Amino acid sequence: FHTLFVLQVENVKLLDRYTNKKAANGTLYLTATHLIYVEASAEARKETWILHHHIATVEKLPLATAGYPLLIHCKNFHVAHFVIGQERDCHEVYTCLLKLSQPVKPEELYAFSYNPKMSKENREIGWKLIDLKVDYQRMGIPNDYWEITDVNKDYEVCNTYPPEIVVPRAANKAVVIGSSRFRSRGRIPVLSYLYKENNAAICRCSQPLAGFSARCLEDEQMLQAIREANPGSPFMYVVDTRPKLNAMANRAAGKGYENEDNYDNIRFKFIGIENIHVMRSSLQKLLEVCEMKSPSMSDFLTGLENSGWLRHIKAVMDAGVFLAKAVKDEKASVLVHCSDGWDRTAQVCSLASLLLDPFYRTFKGFMVLIEKEWIAMGHKFSHRCGHLCGDPKEVSPVFTQFVDCVWQLMQQFPCTFEFNERFLLEIHDHVYSCQFGNFLGTCHKEREDLKIFEKTHSLWPFLLQKKQELRNPLYRGFTAYKELQPNTLPFSFQFWCGMYNRFDKGMHPKQCVLDHLLSCVSQKVKLEDSASELENKLPFLDGPLPSDACPLPKVGPAASKTPMLNTPQGYEGDPPPALSNGAAGGDGDVLSDVDQRNKENLSPPQDLHGDTIEVLDSEAKEGKPRHH
Amino acid sequence: FSLQEIHIKEPIEKQVNPHLLPGELLLCEANTVYKYIQEDGSNRGTYGKLVCTNFKIAFLDDESASDDNEPQLKNKIVGENDITLQCVDQIYGVYDEKKKLLTGQLRKYPEKLIIYCKDLRVFHFCLRYTKEEEVKRIVSGIVHHSQTPKLLKRLFLFSYASAAPSNTDGRNQTMMFDTLEDWRDELERTKGNVKYKAVTINEGYRVSEKLPLYFVVPICVSEENILKYEGRGIPIWCWSCHNGAALLKMSAFPKEQDDSTSQTQKAFLDGIYKTISKAPYELLKTDDLSSSLPSLQDIQTAYTRFKQLFLIDNSSDFWTTDVKWFSLLESTNWLEIIRRVLKKAIEVAECLERQHTNVLLIEESATDLCCVISTLVQVMMDSYSRTKSGFQSLIQEEWAIGGHGFFDHCSHLHKSDKEEAPVFLLLLNCVWQLVQQYPPAFEFTETYLTVLSDSLYVPIFSTFFFNSQHQKDTNTSGESFKTQSGPFRFLTVWDWSVQFDPKAQAFLNNPFYAEKPKPDKSQRKTTRFKHQRQLSLPLTTTKSSTKRGFFREETDHFIKNILGKRIGKLINSSDEPPNSFREFYDSWHSKPVDYHGLLLPRIDGPEIKVWAQRYLRWIPEAQLHGGGTIATAAKILDLMEEVQSLQVKMDEEHCQAVSGDVHSVPLLRNSARLSSLFPFALLQRQSVKPALPTSTWKDLEVEDDLVKRDDEFVDLTSDMP
Repeated sequence: FHTLFVLQVENVKLLDRYTNKKAANGTLYLTATHLIYVEASAEARKETWILHHHIATVEKLPLATAGYPLLIHCKNFHVAHFVIGQERDCHEVYTCLLKLSQPVKPEELYAFSYNPKMSKENREIGWKLIDLKVDYQRMGIPNDYWEITDVNKDYEVCNTYPPEIVVPRAANKAVVIGSSRFRSRGRIPVLSYLYKENNAAICRCSQPLAGFSARCLEDEQMLQAIREANPGSPFMYVVDTRPKLNAMANRAAGKGYENEDNYDNIRFKFIGIENIHVMRSSLQKLLEVCEMKSPSMSDFLTGLENSGWLRHIKAVMDAGVFLAKAVKDEKASVLVHCSDGWDRTAQVCSLASLLLDPFYRTFKGFMVLIEKEWIAMGHKFSHRCGHLCGDPKEVSPVFTQFVDCVWQLMQQFPCTFEFNERFLLEIHDHVYSCQFGNFLGTCHKEREDLKIFEKTHSLWPFLLQKKQELRNPLYRGFTAYKELQPNTLPFSFQFWCGMYNRFDKGMHPKQCVLDHLLSCVSQKVKLEDSASELENKLPFLDGPLPSDACPLPKVGPAASKTPMLNTPQGYEGDPPPALSNGAAGGDGDVLSDVDQRNKENLSPPQDLHGDTIEVLDSEAKEGKPRHH
Repeated sequence: FSLQEIHIKEPIEKQVNPHLLPGELLLCEANTVYKYIQEDGSNRGTYGKLVCTNFKIAFLDDESASDDNEPQLKNKIVGENDITLQCVDQIYGVYDEKKKLLTGQLRKYPEKLIIYCKDLRVFHFCLRYTKEEEVKRIVSGIVHHSQTPKLLKRLFLFSYASAAPSNTDGRNQTMMFDTLEDWRDELERTKGNVKYKAVTINEGYRVSEKLPLYFVVPICVSEENILKYEGRGIPIWCWSCHNGAALLKMSAFPKEQDDSTSQTQKAFLDGIYKTISKAPYELLKTDDLSSSLPSLQDIQTAYTRFKQLFLIDNSSDFWTTDVKWFSLLESTNWLEIIRRVLKKAIEVAECLERQHTNVLLIEESATDLCCVISTLVQVMMDSYSRTKSGFQSLIQEEWAIGGHGFFDHCSHLHKSDKEEAPVFLLLLNCVWQLVQQYPPAFEFTETYLTVLSDSLYVPIFSTFFFNSQHQKDTNTSGESFKTQSGPFRFLTVWDWSVQFDPKAQAFLNNPFYAEKPKPDKSQRKTTRFKHQRQLSLPLTTTKSSTKRGFFREETDHFIKNILGKRIGKLINSSDEPPNSFREFYDSWHSKPVDYHGLLLPRIDGPEIKVWAQRYLRWIPEAQLHGGGTIATAAKILDLMEEVQSLQVKMDEEHCQAVSGDVHSVPLLRNSARLSSLFPFALLQRQSVKPALPTSTWKDLEVEDDLVKRDDEFVDLTSDMP
């Protein structure tokens, strides 16, 4: 690993605001990528690792009795309070961290030096794990109304959109180009999600350059094409997610919003989600509440309310619910935009998809959703997360809010997500960590220019490796729930301790229910294995002569339904790790297998035995208990 | 608005009769009453008959609801549209769209009746289509019978007890603490019998009518002393910790004007403290709860404000709270009171567990906050109190027999509102915080706590009815009741079969309970009391031995100290707890939880939550389809059931003739579609489409395969280096 220390400082204390215990002395190391603190005096060696990219601010506090305090706030809400013995050391650490945590050039980001010792082929496969075309196919696209076009292949229409976009078939190239001239930064209306059951679509774009009276025939035709792609509805919604005042202010700058008179059969709506600056300061206020030591009810509740954070979360959720209802209940298509269509629009569209489609609530689906609505469609991760030294006013917790909304849904519907809270936290961490290439830059073009597909790794395969600890043991499977109708009354929104107070050990149960449940699930699998093993033995006992000549007995009916872990003989005294995956053995050629499956994504599975989907899923699908 | 404007089905004249309990009498009734469905102000509803009996107000639906619409947790005594007279909180009449509180004599009769219930239901009845005569009769009847004071013996408890067949056995594992033996068993269970004894001195209520017939005091306290001030100033034993430290409570002397009296009392107390501070007794700490916790008045005020947030006329009220929700919640102060009470309980636990000192709780009556703290401390420290029978025994010991003034605090007679104080509800709210923080530690569910809180207002049980054992005893004898020869046989609430059939009772048991290995079932009778004690937490090395040595030498000095500082100042009652408290709290939380050991609630602001089930269960707007805690519970039930059936299958395979002891719950199949209000209401029936239209199943199957395949793919990639 990185054995090269940039700096090593002895006699450093790490304070814990939750205990009054005297902090022990330790050593602080700075490497090229991490700050590492090792508490030496404790009986057990305790290490605290902080990635430089996670550091949001470093502050020198006034001299305390124990030494020179250095307060570090991290983007993943870790707050570390060090006390350093010598002033010189303190200053040196301070200046070093400032430099290390604020890289100037993209090449300095961790992802370009991160080397997990993976073969080139594997890395490439990792990048191919998510294929958005497959998701569009899942929605039935291309079809009579929608097509995937490469009109943007040279980024001529829009340089922040991906090369391939989905537009109505009825919108020809002239319409697309014309519309792009009338939309801020050329971000024309494109399809985000098609609700197959009634053809209603969610589309997204940026604000029109309408000013006070400007019109654009092609843009009007574009909207008409979208509306007519859903023959079931005589109208479509156009949703501006900004507060009305903000949208009106934009008119003076030649931007603004659609005039209902100019477009046929549109219903125009404002949904007041505040802008990135309001959100940034709201989070700041929330974090101040989080940093209170042992807050009283009054401190907490008033602080929470004054921060407005949950109110903003609610606004995003309300918008998502509106979209989902429009599509499902009113069968109407919706076009969503904000200003540039990459912040609020991304939040709202991805949330609506999550509400409508259970696929997005699976591991794979959630990755697809983030790749599609956030990464491909050009959310400015680099600016919003402050990856590089830049304008602090561009930083805003837009993605954090989306993740918070998803968590709120998980709270309301504990059995509907395949993954658990830790999965969200992992993703949130890595959006800031710059360890993987996925979230670098601002759009597909920039990522190509940075050569991230050649030089860095994708996050998703790494998360899938950890799937066991990230799964939701309560998940009822894919078909148990379809659309979600979350409650958006104010009391339904909870403060997410696990996110904002995640590193304050004093605030979390030590032995959480999640672990307990995960162990329950593995117990079940173990029992099922033993049962099938016993059943396999039965034929021998019943038969005339038990013979060792046949190592693979006929598999009984129960066994065929249970996940086959290894060869049944293997786990007499020593069961394999529960819920381990089917390919635990030495499949020599993983790669070709993966490739093959990738291509076959739409055909039904042929090999039932290799089907290692967990029992929970299949049971929920059958809708009845299987043990009778 | 006008009712004529909207479409209302013509009322069907049909004879429906109320189902009456033994001893229940129909007092008045009115036909063609229109009951609104609460939620949306759409004026939807049903016609029916409104009746008032000496037990309840009931609405009888003309189109008697089909059975499949009944809630899962059906109460056999109180139906969906029944309001027991005890459960009525306030009644409002609507005159020309103006709401007026109805009390006493009425001169004008309203066109609409709104009844707010103590279990937080709200009923709206329209009387416009009812004959004027009937309106007069029913409104004045309801107001009279639910709002005006009555003679004690006219209350339904007695009518029911004299008319109901006394066949319920009521024997369960709950200790009733009405016999000397129960107290001795409890002493033995907690190994308190070395230093404490159960006394019979109050037989015939010689000492005090407020004290139970039997109670436990330190062995060294003399009968003479107990008798001297009617039991005041006497430390009464609540519970002994595994290390021998005990939790005690004491009824304080009222403030005396007379100097010499207070001097004598002080001297008396000095003597008592001196006696119980000698070896073998531990160091003593006292805590005057009346100064260190909010007053009953504060608690009542806070709760009144708090419940107002949920007693809403229609959903639009609810939406208006939008931006102010958290400050509204904060301004009620209810959650802060819960937090302070929990904190106090942790402080007491710290003294017992770590400092190894006895704790004496002092309060004027020793039957209000003393009960709350004592119960909470035991729930936190004694895992037996977290089983159903243990918790029930505890409530019986501390509250029912202990002499909490249920009769006055629940205002059963409607004499005056001043006495009303939700002390027991406060306890249940605190216990709920623990239950939701540590679900596997409790044998019962939050639903259990909710129905327990509802049972306060079901006047067929004596458990939560009287002020004291004395009041119960004197009223049980039935002397003044000529019709009744023998004494009344009252029901206990712990016999859950009275209210719920076995299927519904399953909701009270926590499937997630991390049960301890059970002793053999055949020995149940004896094991009942032999519930094993746990060494709750091997904390930092105990300093007790040195402390006690120190203490023996310094006894006199110590006692001077107590008295010098006045009673109750030893436990720091300021809001900033002493360091030892925080250290104890932090140190416990930094270790893994033993669900059968000491359990400390987390009490930082974000951790104290609103008991959603109790407060939101009747609000349709608050429901989630396929969500909420019930979804989790249902899923866990399924999982456990499956594990069990697998276990059974395994046993069969092993040819061990162990019969399947699967006490599984045969409910909640297809529970994905349950409402979060389940099991209390099925209000969603009007308002939504099915969550999963059958026509879409086919499509889903296809997508389903896709997901499966994704998983396959996933499994392979996880092998990547």
